[in-house]
Amino acid sequence: MRTRVADRDGALAWIFLMPSVVYILALVGVPFVLAVGLAFSDVTSGDPSFDFVGVDNFRSIFDDPVFWQSLGNTFLFTAISMLLIVVLGKIVANILVADFRGKWVVRFLVLLPWTTPATLGAVAWLWLLDSIYSPIDWVLRQLGFLAEAGNGSNMYWLGEPALAMASVIAVHVWRLTPLAAVIMMAGLVAIPKDMDEAARMDGAGYWRRMFEVTIPMTMPVIAVSALFGAIFTFTDMAVVDVLTNGGPNNATQVLTSWAFFRGIDGGDVGQGAAIALFLFPLLLAAAIAILRAVRRLEVR
Amino acid sequence: MLHGVGALGLGAALAACASEEDPGPGGPTGSVGAPAETFAEPTRKISGELKILLWSHFVPSHDTWFDKFCADWGGKTGVKVTVDHIDQAQITTRLAAEISAGQGHDLVQFIACLSSFEEGVLDLKDVTDEAVKRHGPQLELCRKSSLNPKTGKFYAYSPGWVPDPGNYRKTLWSGVGLPNGPSTWDELLTGGTEIMKSKNIQMGLGMSQEIDSNMVLRALMWSFGSSIQDASEKVVINSDQTVAAVEYMAKLFKQTMTNEVFSWNAASNNQGLVAGKLSYAVNSISAYRTAQGTAPEVADDIHFVSALRGTQGALAAQHVMYNWVVPKHAKNADAAKEFLLHYTTNYAAATYASKLYDFCAWDKLTPNLNAWLASDPFGSKPSDKLKLLADGTKWSTNIGHPGPASPAEGEVFSTFIIPNMFAKAARGELTAKQAVTEAEGLITPIFAKWRARGLVGG
Repeated sequence: MRTRVADRDGALAWIFLMPSVVYILALVGVPFVLAVGLAFSDVTSGDPSFDFVGVDNFRSIFDDPVFWQSLGNTFLFTAISMLLIVVLGKIVANILVADFRGKWVVRFLVLLPWTTPATLGAVAWLWLLDSIYSPIDWVLRQLGFLAEAGNGSNMYWLGEPALAMASVIAVHVWRLTPLAAVIMMAGLVAIPKDMDEAARMDGAGYWRRMFEVTIPMTMPVIAVSALFGAIFTFTDMAVVDVLTNGGPNNATQVLTSWAFFRGIDGGDVGQGAAIALFLFPLLLAAAIAILRAVRRLEVR
Repeated sequence: MLHGVGALGLGAALAACASEEDPGPGGPTGSVGAPAETFAEPTRKISGELKILLWSHFVPSHDTWFDKFCADWGGKTGVKVTVDHIDQAQITTRLAAEISAGQGHDLVQFIACLSSFEEGVLDLKDVTDEAVKRHGPQLELCRKSSLNPKTGKFYAYSPGWVPDPGNYRKTLWSGVGLPNGPSTWDELLTGGTEIMKSKNIQMGLGMSQEIDSNMVLRALMWSFGSSIQDASEKVVINSDQTVAAVEYMAKLFKQTMTNEVFSWNAASNNQGLVAGKLSYAVNSISAYRTAQGTAPEVADDIHFVSALRGTQGALAAQHVMYNWVVPKHAKNADAAKEFLLHYTTNYAAATYASKLYDFCAWDKLTPNLNAWLASDPFGSKPSDKLKLLADGTKWSTNIGHPGPASPAEGEVFSTFIIPNMFAKAARGELTAKQAVTEAEGLITPIFAKWRARGLVGG
């Protein structure tokens, strides 16, 4: 009897995979290869003709103190964001799997920041953190934490380097926590109920069950959400672009935003590409390490 | 390479929506009315399609006029004209993409110099020469913002610009004995300090990573005899004059401002002025036009002054510099050039449609401008408050002064080196001298890089 395509697992798998493969090749693979080429070229925004310049672009960016400042900011931004995203994601996931009335409404509200386009959310935060009209400042003023008028009546969230970085991190965490929560929620609901019940029968309290049953069982998904969080944070510039433009004094400048300012606004596409690609080897190594760790945890 | 390009595009659009305020409603209220448009047969045979890309004007009535203007010209010449308005923040990204792809619009307009695109666009010397032949000498600041003296190429055609006067609150400055506003940087310091002390209303000069900070801080430098480059495009920023300008700004900040000015975006001084929270700001008339619609009592209190005098003169940067470019990939360059000449001839209509926002590079093409400024057809109270803009060309200059605008100046502008130099000294992170030296260290390699490409002199 002739088998139809629908009956051939191998063919069917490729058919289903093909849209993703084409998408990734066209929108990630090709631009990536292009970016690698650009990083070793003298291409500018006005002259796309390719001339090989070796590592000149990398040499130039290494001589630029703003590049090193951006690199430091990127690590700080990513490390703190990732930590907060994982911790808050776990807490939110625990809340979301609990049984209570209105659970679906809470789930919907929690997911909203993730489903809202990044820039729309950032624009809303831009107003919340505004130097004149900030509602956050208004609340602080009403509570007596800020002066009624004059000096000390505003926080200037985006005007102080430390507060600006904290604001950028906070908005990023606000955006990505729902994603981490959903990933972890999937891990939590997959834990066999009898394990938890057995631990209860053995007299384990909430915290003991949390640290000795739940977290170890969900460690692979926690690692995956950390990986997502790290990559999304490393490669994001929308929040910085909308909130601070990298300021004040480049205090929130990250590699992606600096690549954009140098490469597109400044016209030096080669240097922009070199800046954008600088962390690629590191990110690749981190991603491989995390995925291997996840695999080991799953095998165990 | 850049994750979330789509999101970024939207972000740029949204951020740029906020980059300036839309002037409020209000039609002409008398004075000299809208100018009649003229049409002259093109000097060469043109046909086909002309695709134009330009910004969404801060004054929406301009775009309504422009679209009809293009359609009328297309109807008379037989050219099918397509006009795409996008947010100004996206124009350079879009143009870079189109040049890289080798296809796209035939004619692109931007509100600042497009010098970094020189190698990807046609030389518009023929258009500029023809316009000069028809209308006389072009305004120097527009010429210096479209011609690269090193290569001799007109990388752009610049038929217009927008002045950047000081906007001050008359009631506040009357209270400190300066009813006509400050005329010098010294008066700005003394008057601003007194207003801050007595009324707790701050000065509105940004030191942030945005366009208005870039503009006003250059104005301060020029007025103190300092500049990034000299006329021959050598980097000369590390001078006593620059140090003096930075020291002045640090003092002005301490006495008249709060840390708010480090957080600003391009819309912030507009918002602060309209909200009545600033005693003085440097901006085009767009914030004022906004206030006319949304806060008339504030608008009535906003008056204007020309560039403030410093130790070495009184100069301001242009607020907007119109650059039109024809990319090398353009399929209908002839039609693009003919359109530019027709548009220039009718620039008075553009000025009127923009509610006196756009100024022409040829004074004689807007013969009623002085009358409009002396009696604003768009409802100013008093009606002559825009009068000082009539001699705006005397106190305005191009980015790059005393040299030309160039890709190096453009990159210095885009990477916010000047606002950060001032901010570091104002915050006390560096001394004025250290801040200037650090800025020089960032600027010199940029000039060297573009000089090596043959696009910058010196």
